[in-house]
Amino acid sequence: MNSGLDLYDPVVVAAFKSVLVHQGLIALLIFVTLALAWVSIREWLPAARDGRAASSGAQGPAEPGWRQLLRIGFGLLWVFDGILQAQPAMAVGLPSKVIEPVAATSPGWVQHLVNWAGTTWSYHPMQAGASAVWIQVGIGIWLLVAPRGAWSRLAGLASVGWGLVVWVFGEAFGGIFAPGLTWLFGAPGGVLIYVAAGALIALPERAWRSPRLGRLILAGLGVFFAGMAVLQAWPGRGFWQGTLHGKAGTLTGMAQSMAATPQPRFLASWVAAFGSFNAAHGFAVNLFAVVVLAVLGGVFLTGQPRLIRPAVIATVVLCLADWVLIEDLGFLGGLGTDPNSMIPMALLVAAGYLALARVPAAVTQPAGDTAAAAAPDPGPAGHIRPGWRDRVRPAALRRSAAAASIQSVASLGAVGVIILGAAPMAAAQASPVADTILAQSIDGSSTPLNYPAPPFTLTSQHGTQVSLASLRGKVVLLTPLDDTCSVDCPLIAQEFRQAGQLLSGDSRRVELVAINNNPIDTQLAYIQAFDRQEGLASVPNWLYLTGSAAQLEQVYRRYGLPMEVLPAGAMIGHGDYAFVIDQAGHMRQELDFDPGPGTAATKSSFAAELADAAQQLLSSP
Amino acid sequence: MSTPRRLTAAAFVAAGILAAGCGSTAPAARLPGGAAAPSVPPPLATSLASADATWAVVVMGGSAAQHENFWQLFARPAGSGTWRLVTPPGTPDNGGLVLAGTAGQSLITGFRPSQDLTFSPLIATVDDGSNWSQSGVLDTGLADVPDALAAAPGTGRLLALLAGGAAELGGSGGTAWTTLATQRSLGASPAGRACGLGSLTAAAFSPAGVPTLAGACGRPGTAGIFAYAGGAWHAAGPALPSSLARQPVEVLRLTRTGTGIVALLAAGTGPAASMLAAWTGDGGSHWTLSPLLRLDGRRLLSASFGAGGAVAIVLNGSHGVTLAGPGSSWQPLPALPPGTATLALGPGGWFDALAVHVTKLTDWRLAPASRAWHDAQAINVPVQFGSSS
Repeated sequence: MNSGLDLYDPVVVAAFKSVLVHQGLIALLIFVTLALAWVSIREWLPAARDGRAASSGAQGPAEPGWRQLLRIGFGLLWVFDGILQAQPAMAVGLPSKVIEPVAATSPGWVQHLVNWAGTTWSYHPMQAGASAVWIQVGIGIWLLVAPRGAWSRLAGLASVGWGLVVWVFGEAFGGIFAPGLTWLFGAPGGVLIYVAAGALIALPERAWRSPRLGRLILAGLGVFFAGMAVLQAWPGRGFWQGTLHGKAGTLTGMAQSMAATPQPRFLASWVAAFGSFNAAHGFAVNLFAVVVLAVLGGVFLTGQPRLIRPAVIATVVLCLADWVLIEDLGFLGGLGTDPNSMIPMALLVAAGYLALARVPAAVTQPAGDTAAAAAPDPGPAGHIRPGWRDRVRPAALRRSAAAASIQSVASLGAVGVIILGAAPMAAAQASPVADTILAQSIDGSSTPLNYPAPPFTLTSQHGTQVSLASLRGKVVLLTPLDDTCSVDCPLIAQEFRQAGQLLSGDSRRVELVAINNNPIDTQLAYIQAFDRQEGLASVPNWLYLTGSAAQLEQVYRRYGLPMEVLPAGAMIGHGDYAFVIDQAGHMRQELDFDPGPGTAATKSSFAAELADAAQQLLSSP
Repeated sequence: MSTPRRLTAAAFVAAGILAAGCGSTAPAARLPGGAAAPSVPPPLATSLASADATWAVVVMGGSAAQHENFWQLFARPAGSGTWRLVTPPGTPDNGGLVLAGTAGQSLITGFRPSQDLTFSPLIATVDDGSNWSQSGVLDTGLADVPDALAAAPGTGRLLALLAGGAAELGGSGGTAWTTLATQRSLGASPAGRACGLGSLTAAAFSPAGVPTLAGACGRPGTAGIFAYAGGAWHAAGPALPSSLARQPVEVLRLTRTGTGIVALLAAGTGPAASMLAAWTGDGGSHWTLSPLLRLDGRRLLSASFGAGGAVAIVLNGSHGVTLAGPGSSWQPLPALPPGTATLALGPGGWFDALAVHVTKLTDWRLAPASRAWHDAQAINVPVQFGSSS
């Protein structure tokens, strides 16, 4: 899944910033356009606007405190997570430095699933990185601006949907299938708490009106804490020992690892100090954790408000301590994607308490309205609600728009931001070809050229004589390849093969040509073996040319190809290049073609660069 | 195992023993000191004598990373006391070099593949390594054993043991390769079943040009050497002494020297492991066995052969042991110089210990009857670090 590029590769970082700025401007435009349209329509249809204002007083109960806490809290968290996704190293680093390590200890099928997503990301780092930013910012804004109604519940569902995507592909199921699972490190994954919160936000209003919901939330948390206590107490997982055979125990190791993350010095010293304390008192620390988790679990299961209040306070304090001393805030180091699990956990616990202790008062309705409340909603002005065909008529839409609240318009804008992020990623996802920016970041871009390409006549792998002149009328993608080279040349050959596949429809008009860059290993048998090794023997428009040492060295000189016969078991010293020659035999591009790390993503990217160059020439008049 | 199968197996064992001919052995020699260590296949470092030169292969570079290890070929022409670097240029050899001497004046070198290269180029020299010419290619890389390539006397046919466990037979130019056997097909033959063939470890031609393969037998006390004649594989290994009847046996080396074949066998595992050499001049009908050499946990680093069937092995801990030829007994050498990668046998009974330190090869020489190595020559090899990365 690794693209192999440097995390702060300047080309990628600049392109990522550019994409974010462009999409940010579009997001702004979405909100401005919607606001202007809304204001205009309200001015145009004052009756609809006023009708809505009159009916707004008849809405249901006020949003309860627990829901407000979840909605605003998780809205802010999503926005914050989105901002974290905009860090410069994210585009390149997320798959290899975040996703892959998280999945490394999970079973093979989890790694396979996660690697698939990581590979997809590494093929399209710009689109993927930007999409994560805008989807999360969009969901956050949506939660913040939609306090009630269908829009608000949909925001909760969006949080559930995206949260599950992140939990599965970004957090490898929160590590629940991996050894070492512990609440202290963030199990079962911070974003799973986002999912739970989103589900609670998506509940219908009737669920708000009873303390039953609060009891259920706290009972669920009670079971969770009790389970985590058992897990924490389980022997043989390295938590009971601060140090083990001279090595750090599990918790000590985690603290030491987190302390090494780039961060403010005072914070690192706190985390390191906790690691040292745990190294000396590992048993006591784990005993404390086990007892506290068990007690909290038991109290939450009782459902007794007088016990639950101090338990909630204790949970919040414990979460904050864990967040600072063990999770190390979670978002530092340049590749933090969220503040980890403790802040969401504290929010969820507090919301559960509020749902239990502060049930909203029931809305009192006039006696005559009781029957009306049971009947279908007649809609504004007491009319029977029209069918969907009527509601999508232009006039009806205009009325609806004029009657819409500012929250609804802002929600629509937030949905627009989510689509802004998701659509380019979906489009990129549909393409199995990597972004050419990976190749450009490794070797830079080429300068357009236009001069007659130096001629040559050599022998093909089939034993036939081939000259550049004989290829006139075709676009020639040319590269020097050493037939016994063990590193770059096989990668370049793969890139040419993939370029041929991308050009499948135009393959008769493009010739993929390699010239043997080894003046010693010139035998046809060698280049034929190389072709078989690289799966090129059956590619119809592939030519691998060789000749005598004198013939080859003449071509090297004409094309300015460096070549040095190195002694003592070294391979031939050579450079990596690709030349694009047009149908008239003119040199049009000379590409540095060092294949870099040779990952699947970079190979695909170089292939796309070659194919693009050929297609440009084929499409030019 | 059912009784009929036991009988069948016993019959195969008996047939194998009969086919292997008779052998003779002597009490085991012991090395001083040592700790437990299992026998492992020998590394590629070796030397061999041909009619016109002695050749030695060692690895230089000194890095744990394969791509920074560069295998070097040195030649000492007959009649000369001086080594020179003759590593063939143009082809990366980070995966190792495998040598095959022919009866004439030529040497064929196979390149084991490394990194993204998966085939094995073959090249030959007829002038002591001064010039090299391409001599075919193997699509599958040579096996990681020093006897993965052999050349037939007279015809120049080649026998290659490949990384996947197949043995291929090729023409004298390294062309027209055909699969002669695979580990599975040989293991399924009567001879292979009698041995319980586990893996193939060496290939050689008998003096008569018969393709011969060797491997590790799952059946204790059996030497897995097989000759291909009449379109079938026949057991051709020696009968081993009764003291090895319960020991697993692996053929570590199988090489043609002069007019015969010499095999180096490892028996047993751990501290009880031992080694012995076996010589045959008739393709495996009759063998002469050396005494057992108790390894006492020491590990084989290199085995080399002289023209008359002499054997010189390097064990870890600076131990060197030699056999002068058939009928001789193991003789310890004075403590080997630090970094000794392989031994080479010289005319008149001297030994060269070729010691490697990163890019410097030092030839330490031991004159006959002498107890001290002296520095005879040093060669600084221009290793191109980073050229294969």
